[in-house]
Amino acid sequence: MSRVIGIDLGTTNSCVAIIENGQPSVIPNAGGYKTTPSMFAVTQDGKRLVGHLAKRQAITNARNTVFASKRVIGRRFDDGEVQKCIELCPYSIVRGQNDDPRIEVGGKAFTCTEIASIILREMKRVAEEYLGEPVQEAVITVPAYFNDAQRQCTKDAGRIAGLEVLRIINEPTAAALAYGFGKKNDEKIAVYDLGGGTFDISILEMGQGVIEVLATAGNTFLGGEDFDRRIVNWLIERFQSSDSIDLRGDPMALQRLKDAAEKAKCDLSQREAVEINLPFIASDTQGPRHLSIELSREQLEGLVHDIVSETLKTVERCMSDAGLGAQDIDQVILVGGQTRMPLVQQAVADYFNKRPHKGVNPDEVVAVGAAIQGEALTSEEENLLLLDVTPLSLGIATFGGHFAKLIERNTTVPVRKGHIFTTTRDHQTAVKIRVLQGESDVAAENDLLGEFVLTGIRRAPKGEPEIEVSFDIDANGIVSVSARDLETGKEQSITVNATGTLDESEIQQIIEEHELYEVQAKG
Amino acid sequence: MYPTDPQCTGSGERMRLGREGATSGEDRTPRLAPGCDPSQLSLTPAEGYLLSRIDGRTPLSLLRQIGGMPPGEIDRCIERLSKEGVLAFDASGRERPRAASAASAAPAAPPTAATRAVAAPEIDPALDLAVDVQERVLEFEARLARPYHEILGVAADADVRAIKQAYFGLSKQFHPDRYFRRNLGPFGPRIERIFKKVLEAYELLSDPATRAEVQNAQAASAAPEPAAAPSQGAAAARRLRARLGALGKHHRAHDERKRKAKSLFESGMAAFHAERWIEAAGSVRLAIAFDPENEAFKGAFSDVQRRAHEERARVLMKEADGASSLGDWREAARLYEEALHYRAFDASLNEKTARLLLKLSGDLRKAKEYALAACELEPDTAAYRRTLGQVYRAAGLAANAKREFQNALRLDPSDAESKQELKSL
Repeated sequence: MSRVIGIDLGTTNSCVAIIENGQPSVIPNAGGYKTTPSMFAVTQDGKRLVGHLAKRQAITNARNTVFASKRVIGRRFDDGEVQKCIELCPYSIVRGQNDDPRIEVGGKAFTCTEIASIILREMKRVAEEYLGEPVQEAVITVPAYFNDAQRQCTKDAGRIAGLEVLRIINEPTAAALAYGFGKKNDEKIAVYDLGGGTFDISILEMGQGVIEVLATAGNTFLGGEDFDRRIVNWLIERFQSSDSIDLRGDPMALQRLKDAAEKAKCDLSQREAVEINLPFIASDTQGPRHLSIELSREQLEGLVHDIVSETLKTVERCMSDAGLGAQDIDQVILVGGQTRMPLVQQAVADYFNKRPHKGVNPDEVVAVGAAIQGEALTSEEENLLLLDVTPLSLGIATFGGHFAKLIERNTTVPVRKGHIFTTTRDHQTAVKIRVLQGESDVAAENDLLGEFVLTGIRRAPKGEPEIEVSFDIDANGIVSVSARDLETGKEQSITVNATGTLDESEIQQIIEEHELYEVQAKG
Repeated sequence: MYPTDPQCTGSGERMRLGREGATSGEDRTPRLAPGCDPSQLSLTPAEGYLLSRIDGRTPLSLLRQIGGMPPGEIDRCIERLSKEGVLAFDASGRERPRAASAASAAPAAPPTAATRAVAAPEIDPALDLAVDVQERVLEFEARLARPYHEILGVAADADVRAIKQAYFGLSKQFHPDRYFRRNLGPFGPRIERIFKKVLEAYELLSDPATRAEVQNAQAASAAPEPAAAPSQGAAAARRLRARLGALGKHHRAHDERKRKAKSLFESGMAAFHAERWIEAAGSVRLAIAFDPENEAFKGAFSDVQRRAHEERARVLMKEADGASSLGDWREAARLYEEALHYRAFDASLNEKTARLLLKLSGDLRKAKEYALAACELEPDTAAYRRTLGQVYRAAGLAANAKREFQNALRLDPSDAESKQELKSL
């Protein structure tokens, strides 16, 4: 039987892990690195590069190198986040046929699902080379706040990469699994996950080898790259005031600025000040211009402290969802490279009045947790059990455009909940059940998952018929909704199929294309 | 207009009771519980009479026939007596494995671990689930209607910590992920149902607000535990006597009945929420018998009964489908007709029954009635018009038949069968 790998498909870096002889281990790639950049590039001569190779040529081939595509996966082209990326990314993002953002590199528009699949395929290859045997099954992690479409796209990407995705689990939950592995004591844990692209906070409780998610909150618009962006903008402004040249329109310069900003940010976790040097960043009539600016840790903290405070607001909301105070938390786990920043560590320690746990590697812990969940699902042994939750509230649209939640977010699955509704007009014989997902009280602001009509209701004054709507979520997260007229027993139901941005035929087409490409590459 | 309310079909009700006696397989033998003194109780004359008939040898089915009372009244008395701990039941019913599947309507004894042992044939060693785990699942499933704290296996006043521990412990046994991708047969849905119920119990009891509600609801009926298992009978009777001694003589019977009614109602509602509609209807009906003034019970009853009827219809239709597939058309027609008592509004069922009667060259008047009903309920279905036409043709009403075939063709011009029929007319 083949083994299950755990993949942390990160915004900036990805990581793969496996359980070997009962112990989790992170699999290094051919270069010896335990994480692989989530980057993909097409070179001038049409060659495809992934990971470190793609990153190495990113500056010289900025227009054809994709990074951080996770930020736009499963979103609509008109989404604010997509527009933000279009503004900042050196590669071009175009509108796809399903209204989805597609990334144009090497003269071809790739869907985000396809790009994710290319990175997943690379992680699969890393694992196979290390293990010396084929790998077919995986557990993949996503940010806790990914919606159904984003999760489905990730799942589709896994399938295109030739992996059966046993589960999609939340990154902070995976981190807690990694922390809880082999522990039997009762603890309440907070996982503070500040990654490249997203911020998540989860509160979990463990005992007897069971891990229960008490609450999750997050912000998909906030992450380490926002720190980089602040630095880049600061550099651009400084350069503009000193050299009167605006670097914003120059993709090559932007890429160099971004790399330099990221490096400076990392260095400032160890040092008090760094010198940012970018020779030949631009040129004008007077010849080449060089950028040389010093950035101190204090200056950096001044640039980003509001982002850090923003994360603490989310933490506060999550704690109140869990019904806990800071003093109730026994352990704080930091996840994501951005938590290496002293300012972040200090802010978290101040909030919880507790030093964060040091035993886990913030870059690897999520992949390890995914591997543990894969093992827990497939092995006969009774190790850890994760009581996972549904990430977003589910309900139906009601009279006046309101949203009636039947299953609140963070509800443990599998679960079944029902509620009685009635008609709003006299002699109404049919009701339309619109199934929504989201947190807004206004129906239109939530995602529509599906709809159906229940007919044959007895002609009666409004408010008299009783229609029971029940929601069922099974262990695999599949949602089914039924409406039943309690008087006649008439029933209608749908199973909500999460849809990514690609339909089945498009997925098959990409799988075939990839096979062709594989053959080409080998030949 | 065709009756659309299944409640007005009184004959269905009678037929239902008749069927129960014949097929429920609930043939247990009541006897006096050891160490119990019924003279301490306040019994109605009917209850006292029935008690005098119980000799530990006469099975329930026979008692119903020789009791000289309506079977429903006998069930009511048996229920009362067994709740009071006066009666115990012989386990002879174990030889009748149908009891588990035939969804017995009379809630003489709610299913307990002991009676559910009947379900032993459901255990399948071929499944990818250890036999002892299968037994545990069946046993636990039978307990899902019990009060929430009992489902979790904690004391009624357990603290949140104990509740959480119990929940974690049960999750390790019943979370579907424990059995990921295993071949569980019918145990898959069972395990999922159990987990959902355990989760519900945990959610309700771990939140102080919802917990208070649950406890208030239970407190009113808490004192007498349903004495379903024979071993509990004597103890329950003792508890009951102790409590009765403390009450005034006049009030106690009245209070007792109300309490009983409430507890019956609650177990009925629990069955209702566990979707065991027929059992629920039985319990609520008994609750009303014990406390006829309670409007809330009556209010709930119509809803519960509707579900029970629905469930009954579902079972009947399934049996009818089974008879059809075996080629036993006569039995199938009979079962469909019976199902129609509960589902008169079901156009396709009406049409199906009409078609079967036609095929059997049975009662054409009835066949016409059903086919007409189908067309009235769904006037735009070509196939129903065609069936009606065929019934008319068989009855020699050529003009009517012609009209209906034309109607069918108007609705569905590609209907070859109707074209053929028209031609032959």
